[in-house]
Amino acid sequence: MAARAEFLERIRREVAKTPGLFEAEPAPRPAPPSAAAETIRRELAERWPQALDRFREEFERVAGVFHRAPRFTAVPAVIAAIARERGARRLITWDPVALGFDVAPALAREGLTVAVARAGQEDETSRQRHREEAARAEVGVTGADFVLAETGTLVLLSGSGRPRSTSLLPDVHVAVFGRDRLLETLEQMGVMLEALHVEPDRAMSGAMITFITGPSRTADIELTLTRGVHGPKEVHVVFVEAP
Amino acid sequence: MSDTALRTPFPERAGAALKDAFLQEALKIATTKFIDLRKESFAGFPQGEALRDRARAIKEATLQHLDVHLERLADNVERLGGTVHWATTAEEAREIVLRLCRDRGVRMAVKSKSMATEEIDLNEALEHAGVTPVETDLGEYIIQLAHEKPSHIIAPAIHKTKGQVAELFSRELRGEFPADPEVLTAVARKALREKFLQADMGITGANFAIAETGTVVLVTNEGNGRMVTSLPRIHVALMGIEKVIPSMSDLVVFLAILARSATGQKLSSYTTLVRGPRRVGELEGPEEFHLILLDNGRSRQIASTLREALYCLRCGACLNVCPVYRQIGGHAYGYTYPGPIGILLTAMLKGNESVRELAHASSLCGACKDVCPVRIDIPRMLIELREHLDRERIAPWSERLAFKAFRRLLLSPGAFRLTARAGRWLQLPFVREGRLRGLPLLFSSWTRTRDLPPVAARTFRELWKELR
Repeated sequence: MAARAEFLERIRREVAKTPGLFEAEPAPRPAPPSAAAETIRRELAERWPQALDRFREEFERVAGVFHRAPRFTAVPAVIAAIARERGARRLITWDPVALGFDVAPALAREGLTVAVARAGQEDETSRQRHREEAARAEVGVTGADFVLAETGTLVLLSGSGRPRSTSLLPDVHVAVFGRDRLLETLEQMGVMLEALHVEPDRAMSGAMITFITGPSRTADIELTLTRGVHGPKEVHVVFVEAP
Repeated sequence: MSDTALRTPFPERAGAALKDAFLQEALKIATTKFIDLRKESFAGFPQGEALRDRARAIKEATLQHLDVHLERLADNVERLGGTVHWATTAEEAREIVLRLCRDRGVRMAVKSKSMATEEIDLNEALEHAGVTPVETDLGEYIIQLAHEKPSHIIAPAIHKTKGQVAELFSRELRGEFPADPEVLTAVARKALREKFLQADMGITGANFAIAETGTVVLVTNEGNGRMVTSLPRIHVALMGIEKVIPSMSDLVVFLAILARSATGQKLSSYTTLVRGPRRVGELEGPEEFHLILLDNGRSRQIASTLREALYCLRCGACLNVCPVYRQIGGHAYGYTYPGPIGILLTAMLKGNESVRELAHASSLCGACKDVCPVRIDIPRMLIELREHLDRERIAPWSERLAFKAFRRLLLSPGAFRLTARAGRWLQLPFVREGRLRGLPLLFSSWTRTRDLPPVAARTFRELWKELR
């Protein structure tokens, strides 16, 4: 504690020496955030088709692959086709509750091996088993909590039944979402982040929020763009049309 | 920093870089590409200019209450179950990491790219203590295998050819790999995937830390930042105290301009927001989260010359446009942070003495200020730094003497006239193709690498007199 007090005292002393370079304020905050978030959601309930078009454009620009399904029951066929085309046999998915539907039985019927990261199983044995399954899986299936049109970005909250690595370790990531997840701008995402943190422990069961904008990439060798350096080589989304 | 590099004086280091044909080509291609990508990205983003102003204001506003924000950040991280450590010096920061490794039996640590860990020479310290540090950013991995240092803030290995990387991987990872970036990347993916799954500790820097929520934010393209914060049982984040920002509303302002400035992307592939250790019910994530707050000379500048350098986001945009960096690359600077901002950061961390030569490695053209996402006035601070060097008698005596004489001359119209007249004659042996070259004595170091316009046959004063 002595270290902290001393450290902060030094900074307090330095800060007190100067009024600063110019008068400045941090970014304005939405007040109250939950109401501002509600307003955005209401507006998007009208404007989602334009947001979806823009998202698709931006998502494809960062090498994302866009799919549509009329309703949730049609999603497994889309995922199975993606897996088949790549010769993938092992899949891992979020818990049905986090995903909004149970994708596993239909995929299993297609002859694929599906591991489900069930919520509420967090003992050491489950942890170890999950890790092995996640490391072996070739396709990872997740939801998306926010979908950002302006930048082609998927935002995923980690938590119970929604492991971080499902969208990271497999070569192919498939995210499934509906119209209610669409946002237009990064600024709106800022409002959502504020709203999530009003009561974070109730809004999120996990400790990580991940923004995903296209596949993993690098240009570290002679500036040659290469995909899939650590994370997925491909990112797909399946947009579910039915509300 | 490796002392061998610093034993040779800066002009020699720069000279060697200028003779390195591959480096010259690589620098030209890389920096030009980054410049174009950035330009294109801002061209289609009309609100970018206003966002840059806002981002600058946020940095300034945060500094005005830095103590409050740091305290809030620390309280929130602790409330989330994380541990906060306070490191006044680089040595203290290293000691904190080493103690954690010792106490928890850590054998291997995977790292995502972090300039702060470079700044404190963490890898060497870990190796000495018997802990294997593994850099996982592809560029950092390459230079770690080659036992070199990063040459660009965001593209650490731009000075290496794919042939060199193929040779390096073939030797170090035992195989026969072709000079194909795609293949080499796949080789690194495989080698590093094992490390991610085996490592006990993940070490990261922080692009931002949000005081109000206790969140540490990492921006990466490769996904290694996500691996390092998801798979090992311990996560240690090391951040300079200037990285704190007040709220999530501030974060999105920075996100909108950071990747655009660095690589021309709208957002980097991954932005990771970490709120302490894993929570009950999470299958993955570290059991322990440690945040190390690093001062290392930063607080000294809050009320001093280099305050504005504390706004820096480490995007690398100022390196790409700098006519000096474009010629000599990152290694010639000799310290962790290269380029125009690097000179200021080096002065901040290592003291003014360390930049007695580097302070002049700038033409003061102002290109850096133009592209800086938070509009840091780098040229102004470089000039002030030069003044300090002179006042503190750190600059070489010959340089100080020359400028003193020059000042005298400029202040006295009579002396100026006389000197111009004398110069017209004295310069005759040194004028070649209409330029002054190869001056003798004190002036020789000036004309060794540049030429000068000669004193005109008739000076402006003389012309003015006639016209009147």
